[in-house]
Amino acid sequence: MPQLGETVAEGKILAWFKSVGDEIKEGDDLFEVETDKVTIEVQAIVAGRLSEIRVGPGATAKVGEVVAVVGDGGAAKSAADDEAPAAKTAPWRSPFEEVSTPTERYGPARGPNGVSLTPVARRLVALHGLDVAGLVAEAGRRGAKKIDGPAVRAAIAARPATAPTAPVAPLPAPSPLPVQNGDVITLNTVRQRTGERLAESWRTIPHVFQAIEVDFTAVGRVRRKHKEALQNAHGISLTYLPFIARATCLAIAAFPQVNARFDGKELTLSRDINLGIAVDLDHNGLVVPVARDAGDLTLIGLAKAIRRQIDKAKAGKLSPDDLSGGTYSISNNGAFGTTFTAPIINAPQVGILSTDSIRLKPAVVSTQEGDFVAPRMIGMIGQSFDHRAFDGAYSAAFLSRLKQILETRDWVEEISSDL
Amino acid sequence: MAELTYRDAVARGIAQEMERDERVVFLGEDVAKAGGVFKTTVGLYERFGPLRVRDTPISEQAILGAAIGAAMTGLRPIAELMFADFLAVCFDYVANEMSKLRYMSNGQLSCPLVIRTGNGGGVRFGAQHSQSVENWTMMIPGVKVVAPSSPVDVIGLMAAAVRDPDPVILHEHKALYAFKGEVPDGEVVDTLGTAKILRAGRDCTILALALMVPRALEAAEILQRDHGVDAEVIDVRSLVPLDTQTILGSVAKTGRLFTVEENPRLCGWGAEIASIVADEAFWDLDGPIVRITTPHIPLPAADHLEDLALPSSARIVDKVRRVLNG
Amino acid sequence: MASLKAATAPRDQLQNDDIGLDARLELFRLQVEIRDCEKRAYDLFLQNMIKGTSHLSIGQEAIAAGFGVAMRKGDKSFCTYRGHAHTLARGASMEGMLGELMLRDIGLMRGKGGSMHLTSVEHDVFGSYAIVGAHLPIACGAAWRAQYLGEKDVSVCFFGDGTTNIGAFHEALNFAATWKLPVVFVCENNLYMEYTPIGEVTAVKHPAADRAAAYGLERILIDGNDADVVYRTALAALEKAREGGGPSLIECLTYRHSGHSRADPAKYRPPGELEDWLKRDPVVVYRGRLRDFGVAQETIDAIEAQSKRKVEVATEACKASPPAPVELLTKDVYADGGWAWRN
Repeated sequence: MPQLGETVAEGKILAWFKSVGDEIKEGDDLFEVETDKVTIEVQAIVAGRLSEIRVGPGATAKVGEVVAVVGDGGAAKSAADDEAPAAKTAPWRSPFEEVSTPTERYGPARGPNGVSLTPVARRLVALHGLDVAGLVAEAGRRGAKKIDGPAVRAAIAARPATAPTAPVAPLPAPSPLPVQNGDVITLNTVRQRTGERLAESWRTIPHVFQAIEVDFTAVGRVRRKHKEALQNAHGISLTYLPFIARATCLAIAAFPQVNARFDGKELTLSRDINLGIAVDLDHNGLVVPVARDAGDLTLIGLAKAIRRQIDKAKAGKLSPDDLSGGTYSISNNGAFGTTFTAPIINAPQVGILSTDSIRLKPAVVSTQEGDFVAPRMIGMIGQSFDHRAFDGAYSAAFLSRLKQILETRDWVEEISSDL
Repeated sequence: MAELTYRDAVARGIAQEMERDERVVFLGEDVAKAGGVFKTTVGLYERFGPLRVRDTPISEQAILGAAIGAAMTGLRPIAELMFADFLAVCFDYVANEMSKLRYMSNGQLSCPLVIRTGNGGGVRFGAQHSQSVENWTMMIPGVKVVAPSSPVDVIGLMAAAVRDPDPVILHEHKALYAFKGEVPDGEVVDTLGTAKILRAGRDCTILALALMVPRALEAAEILQRDHGVDAEVIDVRSLVPLDTQTILGSVAKTGRLFTVEENPRLCGWGAEIASIVADEAFWDLDGPIVRITTPHIPLPAADHLEDLALPSSARIVDKVRRVLNG
Repeated sequence: MASLKAATAPRDQLQNDDIGLDARLELFRLQVEIRDCEKRAYDLFLQNMIKGTSHLSIGQEAIAAGFGVAMRKGDKSFCTYRGHAHTLARGASMEGMLGELMLRDIGLMRGKGGSMHLTSVEHDVFGSYAIVGAHLPIACGAAWRAQYLGEKDVSVCFFGDGTTNIGAFHEALNFAATWKLPVVFVCENNLYMEYTPIGEVTAVKHPAADRAAAYGLERILIDGNDADVVYRTALAALEKAREGGGPSLIECLTYRHSGHSRADPAKYRPPGELEDWLKRDPVVVYRGRLRDFGVAQETIDAIEAQSKRKVEVATEACKASPPAPVELLTKDVYADGGWAWRN
């Protein structure tokens, strides 16, 4: 079980793509694993015969635990190895942080009138933005000695429904000591420029963010089924992104206003779709290389084009052409396990799509026999759009169409034509 | 399904493992021909023979030492310590040997053994034969500690302990030996390091171990019926490894924590858990963490005095009610 | 089965050499190497390259060598904190041993255990135990395993005269004798229990040999400074155990040249005692023995020179070895390699 994230301690194997006895090549997908942060395929890093699967589908293994053996497994093992996991587990906690002390602080434990608040009351009051001084004063008047969880929850429930409960950030920890300066990180040119552009976009464009939940189960099935064939035929690893990109292009055909440029007065629709793909340069800046004429590409074509641009970006080989002419962008954040992201629009474009982690969640599936709860691959697709260019209903309709395409399109037909 | 007493479950758990693995052997005082002074190992000698089920002299150090030597060189021994109080007689082997040999030898030596011992009071044996000492073993790094509260858990945790490659101390409770419970047919194997929520509730979390579990459950019924308090009762089962996640999850829900501990007050197992919760789950707490324990005294032999000393369901009800209303 | 008494009787040295030249050369080589390695440990301690404490066996080499040659692969050694000699005698490397004393990564346990806990399962050294007497019952357990599985190895535990007064000694002897376990108990009586003469704290004159009868065992008291005597006694005891004859308790009279541990300059010894024993220095005795059996001086010199070279090489290797990586701090508390006590 590989390390899948800094705080991830274990993963659940969803499916095995190989069976015992299969010959494995380096890079073959072996199994799909779900952690509490991300769902990914794990590839083989050696070649050989899969001689043993120790952790089967549906089972969970700790990071570092041996889940399968490729090859003969090395030297003969003693009988004692049958019970104990053969690999050592990865470090799980620091020995000096055996208990995770919370770092938040949530306001005073006692009011000036002597009324005390329980820890959970203090937290709830802060998080729900209640007027703690008022609560404390009112409790004092009633003769109550303390404010506890039920009292706060009642106060929250009693608030007028229209008041939006904006979560309030916890108070910073009071530090009686002067702040010590830590390391100074100078931003490189790419980051500085990117930063300036982002700030400008943020200042000038009224961003509105909308999201829609998409069921990727069908897509996932198609992906898995054809991964190997595509790898063999085209040398690419098919992720969810090409599907989303393709669906975006198709949805844009019905909602062309999202694929436009706005100069403050006029919205110029673009006939071509030049899709920008946001690429994170290993936390060293963000670039958005463009896949030109994306609307004319098939799913496979898009996958290849996207792959090419990402590789060029990471190798530092993008030309000015690669970075210009974009009409719509996609920000793909799935690798880090986030639920949704509200990205900043690439002016002069008017919209940017965001995709985040796609993972198994319980969902209601309606069938002829009735409604059932089933595990489905669910992910959020969001769009930040320029509210001057169009309104929420238009954006929502676009997202709705995009969802429909992803969930119901015949992707097999789409792929088969390219195999 | 069958109804089995806790003591019969002991024999069944050991037999299940001895049947499965030839390397499992069993030694102790009066365990073989006599079937154990508490009749917990009746039938094993007849079934597995004198080479695998052996009576020893009264030599606790030799019993534990031999278990370590056998485990270190390839067997999976189960050793009985008749009374958990006798851990004090051979504590070197727990504190200094079995718990540290793997670490000191840089992984060369291992001690896959189980010590099962008769823990706890309530049976009028007097101060030196009635102690609850699971906390003594909890505090030594390198061993694992479990304390089942029901016949099915006896078998399940015994099996898990035998199969575990580390030294495990399994504290049986003498006052539970006659206690009956349902046990499924066939092989029963549990997992070390897991607590069980026996009664779900919303108003407070009550943690208990071994004999205190049925008392906590009884108290929860009375709290619901007579005082409208809906208590969540968790059988901790495993002190090392500790299932902190289940406990923290429960406290996040209820905001109130009580422990019911048979060990004398100071450094009881609940003290450690109270510390973890007060630290990690501070912002989930809606009131102080309260430990309900035996007072910090030796145990008297007289029935009414011993019954006063050990936490009773009445004392649990009273304490929970007063603290929640305060 | 030869009686142990016959094995320990003085023999006409030049007749019918039952031991043979190969074994004799091996006995000498081991004693010399143990001596040289322990002396180097002494020096390194004075240079503060060995920290903590170190219990040296200088003067007691014959016992370790005698058993080292007599024991087979698979026979298991259990030692006390004075276990350096026994660890070397089973074939562990000098750099592994010195490296462990110096708490470096090259050490047998990478510095995790230290001088008092030398362990090399590869060489059948199943631990060195710092709690007096603790390993005697453990050796019984290893022997029980052999008996139960029908395996033919013998467990041998080495301990000092002081051990014979602790509870675990008596429990183990009774246990082994009652169950007739294939275990050999070897008491190295160097006349002092830490800083006190053993006679002042023991009810009987010979702390092990005089107690054998209490456990139904033969009284065996031998010159622990004559490797041949130790070797013959060891062979007989091992054979007896291997054939199902049960345990033996052997008391070897010897003397330690240095203090109890490095911290002890041993001023409690009566004048003249050390000088008397130095005349019966096992290495000196055995050098003479080899000459008696016609071994050429060149051969003897070669063994001694080789030993000194090996010590030099090992010392340099240890000095060059780094301390263990910090990740080892929390490794191997449990079988999964980790230390997790909670989720």
